[in-house]
Amino acid sequence: MNKIIIVFIVCMHVFALHAQITGTVWDKDGPLKGVAVAVKGSSTATQSDQDGHFRIAADPAAVPVLVFSHIGYLTQSVTVSGTQPLQVILQVANTDLDEVVVVGYGTQRKQDLTGAVSVVKVADVQKRQATTVAESLQGLATGIRVRGGGRPGSEAQIQIRGLKNFSGTPPLYVVDGLITTANRDFNPSDIESIQILKDASAAAIYGSRAANGVIIITTKRGQQGPAQIEVSAKSTLQTTPRYNLAKTEEFARLNYMAYDNANVPRQDLDMTVDTDWQDAAFRTGKVQEYSASFSGGGEGGNYFISGGYFDNKGAVISTDFNRFNFRVNTVSKKGIFTIGENLAISNAKADEMSGNPYIDVLRLLPTIPVYNPDNPGGYGYGDERRARTFGSNPVAIADLDDRTNANLRIRGNLFSELQLLPSLKYRFNLGYETSRDHHTYLRKAGSWTLNQPLDPSQYHENRAESSTVLVENTLSFEKEFNAHRLNVLAGQSYQRDRYAQMWGTKRNMLENPNGGYYTVLDQGNEPQTGGFANRTDIISYFGRFEYNYADKYLVNGIIRTDGASRFGNNYKFGTFPSISGAWRISQEDFFQASWINDLKVRANYGTLGSSNIGPYDYIPVVNTFPTIAMGPGQVILPGATQVKLANHDLRWETLIQQNYGFDAAFLNNRINVSAEYFISKTKDVLLQYPLLLSTGNDGGNPFTNGATLSNRGMELSVTYQENTKPFQYSVTANIKKLRNRVVDLGYGQNRTFSGNTVTEKGQPIGMWYVLETDGIFQNIEEINSYQNAEGRVIQPNAQPGDIRFKDHNGDGTITNADKTIVGDAWADYEMGLNMNASYKQFSFSMDWFGSFGATVFNGPRSVMDMFSDNTNYRADIQPWTPENPNTDVPRAYYASTINARGDTDRWLEDGSFVRLKYIGVSYRLPSSLLDKIYFSEAQVTLSGQNLLTFTKYTGLDPEFNNSNIFQKGHDFGVFPNLRTVSLGVQFRF
Amino acid sequence: MLSCDKSLLDQDNPNTLTESQFWATESDAQRGVNAIYHMFYQPGTWSRWIYFRLDLTSDEGFSKSPWIELADWTRFQYVNYNFLEGNVITYKDTYKAIFRCNQVLTHVPTIAFADENKKAQLLAEAKFLRGFYYYYAALLWENFPIVTTLQSPTDMPEASTLADVWALVETDLSEAAQALPLQWNGNDIGRPTKGAALALLGKTYMQQHKWNEAKSALDYFITGEGTPYYDLVAYQDNFRAENENNKESVFEIQFSDANKTAEGDIPSSTMSTNRAQFFAPRSIGWSDGQARYWLVTEFKKEKTVDGEIDPRLRYSLFYPGLEADFGDKVYGRSWQWDADEAWFRKYARDYKQNHDDYFNEVNNRVIRFADVLLLYAEVLNELNQTASAYPYVDRVRARVNLAPLATAHPTIGNDKDRFRERLKMERALELCGESVRWADLKRWGDLETQAGINRVAERDPDFNNFVLDKHIRLPLPEVEVANNPNLTTNNPHY
Repeated sequence: MNKIIIVFIVCMHVFALHAQITGTVWDKDGPLKGVAVAVKGSSTATQSDQDGHFRIAADPAAVPVLVFSHIGYLTQSVTVSGTQPLQVILQVANTDLDEVVVVGYGTQRKQDLTGAVSVVKVADVQKRQATTVAESLQGLATGIRVRGGGRPGSEAQIQIRGLKNFSGTPPLYVVDGLITTANRDFNPSDIESIQILKDASAAAIYGSRAANGVIIITTKRGQQGPAQIEVSAKSTLQTTPRYNLAKTEEFARLNYMAYDNANVPRQDLDMTVDTDWQDAAFRTGKVQEYSASFSGGGEGGNYFISGGYFDNKGAVISTDFNRFNFRVNTVSKKGIFTIGENLAISNAKADEMSGNPYIDVLRLLPTIPVYNPDNPGGYGYGDERRARTFGSNPVAIADLDDRTNANLRIRGNLFSELQLLPSLKYRFNLGYETSRDHHTYLRKAGSWTLNQPLDPSQYHENRAESSTVLVENTLSFEKEFNAHRLNVLAGQSYQRDRYAQMWGTKRNMLENPNGGYYTVLDQGNEPQTGGFANRTDIISYFGRFEYNYADKYLVNGIIRTDGASRFGNNYKFGTFPSISGAWRISQEDFFQASWINDLKVRANYGTLGSSNIGPYDYIPVVNTFPTIAMGPGQVILPGATQVKLANHDLRWETLIQQNYGFDAAFLNNRINVSAEYFISKTKDVLLQYPLLLSTGNDGGNPFTNGATLSNRGMELSVTYQENTKPFQYSVTANIKKLRNRVVDLGYGQNRTFSGNTVTEKGQPIGMWYVLETDGIFQNIEEINSYQNAEGRVIQPNAQPGDIRFKDHNGDGTITNADKTIVGDAWADYEMGLNMNASYKQFSFSMDWFGSFGATVFNGPRSVMDMFSDNTNYRADIQPWTPENPNTDVPRAYYASTINARGDTDRWLEDGSFVRLKYIGVSYRLPSSLLDKIYFSEAQVTLSGQNLLTFTKYTGLDPEFNNSNIFQKGHDFGVFPNLRTVSLGVQFRF
Repeated sequence: MLSCDKSLLDQDNPNTLTESQFWATESDAQRGVNAIYHMFYQPGTWSRWIYFRLDLTSDEGFSKSPWIELADWTRFQYVNYNFLEGNVITYKDTYKAIFRCNQVLTHVPTIAFADENKKAQLLAEAKFLRGFYYYYAALLWENFPIVTTLQSPTDMPEASTLADVWALVETDLSEAAQALPLQWNGNDIGRPTKGAALALLGKTYMQQHKWNEAKSALDYFITGEGTPYYDLVAYQDNFRAENENNKESVFEIQFSDANKTAEGDIPSSTMSTNRAQFFAPRSIGWSDGQARYWLVTEFKKEKTVDGEIDPRLRYSLFYPGLEADFGDKVYGRSWQWDADEAWFRKYARDYKQNHDDYFNEVNNRVIRFADVLLLYAEVLNELNQTASAYPYVDRVRARVNLAPLATAHPTIGNDKDRFRERLKMERALELCGESVRWADLKRWGDLETQAGINRVAERDPDFNNFVLDKHIRLPLPEVEVANNPNLTTNNPHY
């Protein structure tokens, strides 16, 4: 956390007053050169020399105030009250404001920022157990919404400042200047810094791809000095949350009740079996992570070499992920010339999950055994007479349906810089990334569900290759004169992305007498092959202008023009300008509030683009795949036709955003406050709006520039820190409030449906649109008296114990027309709370995340509680019976949707939650001990994630993730966030 | 600074033809027509779900599927009109097929052909197929919005009435009949013939009770130039993978098990039917649909002239007495299901293997000559020529060794109504499970009075849910009504 180290003035000698003030500036290691020294309220300024000395003209009689500032140090004002020469000790001050922030094609001091940029503390990221960078960001920056994956090797979903479009596109990642994705192949230990560009002015330099925000990651470099070796190891246990399900006895009682109520003869349940399917499908997951780095440097350059290994045995059987990473970053300098490279190689392999065990464990009955030698493949599953369910045996699927994904990724860039003039620098950046992907799928012979067709074994394999080439030329000019600071950047970039895949499938694979199959495509029969290739090109021109007057007035202008091959001929180019400004009020002479250390107000306006569509979507194509069998020999004849319609005139989606904010630091920087208010509007949203079925379109709806969305929101972040005492602590609270609204929908439509949601003009995306329930009929009188205005009995076929539905249109019958809007899946606000404390060798930190006001759909409960089709039931569920009428569960009724409809508010729940995302304690070995073992640093950390959750939601995890943005709040049995406990050690020597 | 060549942004799709490159040659026209037939292999049409509409919704079949919503859509409990498998997928696939037809009918006329006759035939195939899909759309939704031109993403068709749809079907089939050959040769066998177009045209007229026009169309088979090409074959040869496209076949969907892959317009996509996998008895297939037991009872009411059980029962149904009556097991198993249950056996591959799957290759004989003969008899009866109608029924009966109708049912005589009533049963026994029953019930008006519905409900209690003038047609998908301002209302009572 922010360590503000106090600055103190040591008064050394007493001299007589004169018109020159002299002194020395030091940091803790010695004299400091180049420190700016200015007399407050005048234009007089100087710098400290090689030995830290300075001399500045001022009238001591006026009690002048000298301002000392230097990048990386805390700016300090000193009132000259007589004693000279001054000795001023500045110490490294890692306050947020003095940080240097990477903003794309350059850096800015954080205090000079005019846009909304979040800087994530890398130490916070690295202390978490996460497979991907995105997963570890939650709660660490305001305005960032992250939903984790949970499965080994799965990607987290990240959203910056709400939904800008319907495609749920992830933000742009820029790793060491290479535009890419920070996917699971990336080793989080290599990260030096993460900055998140949240608004238009900040992100505009990346123009066309920045509409969903930009995450800039720089990786570590060697530091000048002797070689440093850092080693860390982490070991983690993961457990999945579980349902509380009925055992055989309770299950049988409820199952008989549902059959009896429906007058269906009971099934012949096998009461001798009591399988806990969760025990069969879940296990304790384990993660091991090791990394080592070796770095150093001298005057002429530096190097950083790292290697890592990550292995995750999943919390669901037969899932696994492992990754090897290797990285070399070097820079060398000679005179005006600098050359460097970043190179990362990773190899990752995942044993993927098949089916959905989080639904399978519900749908299988406890009376079914895991294994049944009478079934093909030897696994137990439903039986028509004894256990009628079409649930899949998760143990069988894990064995019989085996998928792996592996890839080798090489990612790197080579850059060179030429300092043409002290103020003018040319930079050439050549980036390259390639991934060689390998997917296998083995379907062994055997069944996992009732009545499954007897398919023979099948093996499918595909190999793919992707590559990105990036060529960039930038020229930057930086000049300071008097109080003016000017920074101008101009650049050009070309990027080419390619992807190609080939695949093959065979059936009836050769069995290996020792077990399994020979999984090579030479074996088997009925071969099939295929393949495809894509390419996209982007050409860009961009420029940035930054002007700073006396650190008071800051103006920043950016323009970027992008041309993309994805669009039609007349629409390829888009231009995206932005302008922003800030005023540091605290630098003004009139600003006298000494308790305010810094105060800055910011405003900006900008446009960004998005082109998140396929490479050739604007071109209608002919599908040549339909073949037909004709004639007595059933010869295969080729067919060809247009299957999918296309919109020729696809163009850039444009985001127009305004952002207003302020940053303030109070009470010796103990309190930092940052607030943002933003309004954004996305026009010409590229979406696959559903066409009328009568168009005959198939193969997905074609993209169109269809809708307009708006987002409005505020973010507030407050930090309090106390670092002057042995017990140091800091607390940061952030809150985000965001509202999205659909201003316009595609093709002039007013609303669109998706699952149980409706999206209407003027409303948020994906509101719940369901039948409203109104309790349970307790007796016949209630049923007969439930009438509409004309006296028609609304649910004449109902029986006591059945659900009463609201007849919203008053027509005296319950139909789809009675559906109504019941809330939405969007949180009213989200909060994060991060606490850090340290005392001597111990440090402690804790991150909380809370989300409030979302209404979510509990899909697993809609399965467990339906009774209409056989599943296992919630333990202790109390369906209505004449003897037990005080319940909210209607009577159990088999084989009828009467009480089991999925499109009612019965399954909607309050999705609010507060969760302890992270808690950790570290112990740092004291230096007395370290010296003996020649370590410079050693630390042990014990931490846990998702250990505590407070929520009314009855599903496994209120923090679930549904990638369909219209059904964001539908928990269909999503893989939950796991509870983890980790032990890590870290050494440096 | 380097500058980039802007032509880099003009990237052609390396994967396939663009639409503007296509529709230039005879071969393009041929491939465009072929692609229409591929729609038979897509699940909304003849590889799967249409049988739920035509066979299970009728009084011949029903569903005990544990997938409640799927079963509800076979018993007139339509709650969610957007239910994919019950409604939307067939509606959508029908329009997909129509889109393919419209592409051919729009583009092919401008393509130069060496042989104009070839061009006319291709256009006639497309017209036949368009008429075919509209025929079934008329049966299912009735007021099915007509699209005969290529649609842009924003096009919204006007509402249509059943009469509009029938008129289009009549035009398409009449025009198709003029250019289609009497017979195809070689690898073209399986494409629609003139007879196929006229048979379907005859059905179209009959659904509208245009009996004279129907007779003219069907005369082709009885007295016209089609006579030499059609005959009855061994009954079971109509439902097996062997002896396909035989003399009884009037129009037949060509299935193949060559590609054991997924459905859709993807490389090597399946050309098979899944019907048997979905209709096979419990523990063998999904068993989402089965036959009503009254069919078994009816079959057993009349013996052959040799005193045997009607052999059609053997090839039509799996039923408890199958092994005792004919020595056949059910996919190799003895009866293990309830005593009052039956399943459809036609198109099942139990005669050669003990399981079914998604890759069944048995052609579906959509129209066969026996159907035409019975239709012809019905037309004559409706035209008050009952006496002349007998020979056509007798020909169908004689094939399976049943006595002439007048011998077996002497009370009918020349009573038109009694003849019609008997003909209904003759059709059920000959054609059950062949997807004609829904059209039959509608044509006979059995669902147009509550009394008629009640009689049907005696055979199939699902008809107790049938609401007069409502369930005679499906609802249009709700999304389609909501998103097309030209469709102000759904079908009546929905």
